[in-house]
Amino acid sequence: MVKRKFWISETILLMLFLIPLLLVLGITDLYPLAFSTFLSTTSWDLIDRGASAEWVGLRNFLTVLRDPIFVDSFKTSLKFSLGATAAELVLGLIVAYMVVGESKVMRAVRTILLIPMFIPGVVVGTMWRMMLNVNAGIVNHLLSVVGIPPLSWFSAPDTALVSTILVDIWYSTPFVMIILVAGITTLPGDPVRAAMIDGASRWQIFRYIMLPLLAPILTVATLFRFIGSFFVLDHIYTTTYGGPGFTTNVVSFHLYRQGLTHFKLSYVAAASWLMIGFSLMVIVVLRTIRGFLERSAAAG
Amino acid sequence: MQSVYIRAQIGEWLFTFFRAVVIVLSLLFVILPLIWLFINSIKIPLEWLSIPPVIVPSKITFENYVQLFADPNSDALLCLKNSVIITLAATALSVFIGSLAAYSLTHLKLPFKIVPFIAGMVLLLGFYPKITSVIPYFVVMKNLGLMDTQMAIIIAFVGLNLPTTVWLMITFYEELPKEIEQSAMLDGCGPWGRFYKIVLPLALPGMVVAAILSALLCWIEFMIASSLAIVNAKTLPIAVSAYLQDKGMHWGPMSALGTLTVVPVIIFCVFVQKYLVRGLTFGAIKE
Repeated sequence: MVKRKFWISETILLMLFLIPLLLVLGITDLYPLAFSTFLSTTSWDLIDRGASAEWVGLRNFLTVLRDPIFVDSFKTSLKFSLGATAAELVLGLIVAYMVVGESKVMRAVRTILLIPMFIPGVVVGTMWRMMLNVNAGIVNHLLSVVGIPPLSWFSAPDTALVSTILVDIWYSTPFVMIILVAGITTLPGDPVRAAMIDGASRWQIFRYIMLPLLAPILTVATLFRFIGSFFVLDHIYTTTYGGPGFTTNVVSFHLYRQGLTHFKLSYVAAASWLMIGFSLMVIVVLRTIRGFLERSAAAG
Repeated sequence: MQSVYIRAQIGEWLFTFFRAVVIVLSLLFVILPLIWLFINSIKIPLEWLSIPPVIVPSKITFENYVQLFADPNSDALLCLKNSVIITLAATALSVFIGSLAAYSLTHLKLPFKIVPFIAGMVLLLGFYPKITSVIPYFVVMKNLGLMDTQMAIIIAFVGLNLPTTVWLMITFYEELPKEIEQSAMLDGCGPWGRFYKIVLPLALPGMVVAAILSALLCWIEFMIASSLAIVNAKTLPIAVSAYLQDKGMHWGPMSALGTLTVVPVIIFCVFVQKYLVRGLTFGAIKE
């Protein structure tokens, strides 16, 4: 009897500990997501005339999918994301392999290399906009010193997207690096040592032993970076503002502007749900790949 | 045999050389843009946009910084104040709410797998694209009359931080030895007492990690803050983003404001580097 009473008071107290969490997440995520579901199936484009919300079924979703600007922004995000993720993974892997180690120097190097990821994205964008300015930018000036003609960077349609990818590489490669440094550090030592005794070269050890063992964590880094760069907003906002034309009008930027400057709330809600569906698909695909890699690593 | 040894030795030298080159190049790639930002912030107006760019300023001036704070049209001071208050408040709240909830999630026993369901839901909420909830949240805050207040941004940031904080704390609590708590329970210590007197001091390193990650995220967040702030609640990143179009040619003050935003981050990172790496990698390495 005493024990039962104790269990009840204990459980009630522990449940109370959860209330602040549920309250905050309710306000910031659950209610907005439910509200977004409601918006996506109604016509409610001007918040000041909110009373006239009308059920329209899946019409908003069709509007989004038939909107060439949205489809275009999806493709732009996809290009940006694939380019940035691939470059960040390759560079992050190379740098991570080079800066592994417990010495004081390597720790210091790693801390310095981490700095970009904690700078506000808008500042990163502003900084690069100055550096890549066509006339007064330092980069074109340095290029001219070695005889390369000035590039148009953010200001021409055919170079703008690549330039924003370059900015993202500066901004987000540190994240890949730090994850992979941790991955390499916690690698089992035996296979590597065995290969060294057998006289394998550094490249062989890296290619045939470390890389397969790192494959699962590489897929984690891929997932984080793919989703992260797909929904990039901050540095696009201060470098190209979506332009020139619509060449860097990535999904987040497109929806941000449609929602907050044009108040097309139903349109944005429907598009958002399509994007959540897309993210889930990416997560499922990469988790499957990761599971496959882990099994083959365990078997091999 | 000898030749194999020599070849291996040459390979090692080449590797060391390659390694040094990669490290030096990546350090330069990271540091030079930041130094250039700082140099731009101490240039006189004539040299902001000169062609070709002035690499070594003819005269060093701190006028750009003074202007940010002295100019009545500049809201840099307000934004700095907002950023500091919002970061501190949101961090304190996230760590408090998150560690309390994580304690409950690791100790509570309820039927129907309710507890793992809540923990899983919290995890999922950390992963969906935030652009989805930005606009509905903005409408909610507008209806509550909380637009352009620090409060609206603080709540949003706590929500943004909670999934990471909760999961970080769950992994920390799970590493703590169960025996200490069990003996305290036998001595008649209730959940609050056990949390406050026993678990909290032991889990402090975890809370420090959570606080660091949370503070850094609040300091750099732009999308949510900019959707909620109009005049009074603007944060530093919003102030930087205002340097577009016509104002975008004011490279001096723009760089000064950028430098002002970056310097605290650099100092902070140096002091907390040990915790930082631990916090960043907990999700990827565990399992």
